[in-house]
Amino acid sequence: MKLGVLVSDFRNMDDTLSRLKADKLGIILVSNGVYHAKVKEGGKQSPILEKSPHLYALAEDLQTRGFAETDIDSRVKAITYNDLVDLIFNEYEKVIWV
Amino acid sequence: MATKKFAFVVKSLPYKTEASRLALTHAIASQTVEIYLEDGDNVEPVLAFIGDGVLNCLRNQKAMNTYGVTSLEQHIKNSLLLDLKVLICKEDVEKFGISEDALIMDAEDIGGETRANIVAFSEIMKEMDSSNHLLFF
Repeated sequence: MKLGVLVSDFRNMDDTLSRLKADKLGIILVSNGVYHAKVKEGGKQSPILEKSPHLYALAEDLQTRGFAETDIDSRVKAITYNDLVDLIFNEYEKVIWV
Repeated sequence: MATKKFAFVVKSLPYKTEASRLALTHAIASQTVEIYLEDGDNVEPVLAFIGDGVLNCLRNQKAMNTYGVTSLEQHIKNSLLLDLKVLICKEDVEKFGISEDALIMDAEDIGGETRANIVAFSEIMKEMDSSNHLLFF
């Protein structure tokens, strides 16, 4: 299964995410989820960034919160709303929101 | 004759919920209630950002461009313009590795003279302790 996971929280979703299994797991950071792409706590990057090589963050949500698209973890690709639609329709068979 | 002190403590992240925006608008609104008060009465608001809430204080928020809403940055600057005491938790700023340059420390661009202060949580605790009303957002 190709599974896309929309993450919109900065807290309390890690347990669910770590239990998901998929042939291809895409993690799409939106809303407050985009903090995972930038914020380090105690010098450590978010553990979510280790969950999958397919990481995305919605550019508008980054900009809203004061982050530049170029200023996030290099593993995360900043995407537009149009890119998000393309991901949902073309890259993943199922999409969930945790 | 009395001054009532209100501590507005923001621990929530911005935008996904209205919590931090409500804290700021309430704190700002508290400056306008004096028209309803008796002579000699007053309200003293204190605004403190702790935990994840310190991320409200990041500069360069583009909420108007992206969501079409006023940014929390603008609200914080309005608070400073109205000379509210704005405190940002030092331990939490350090935990996130945020430099002072990245934080909204003043509102000079809109004519404000008051600056925000990065203080230890113990100082914020003192403000909470000395307040008549404590409001967590």
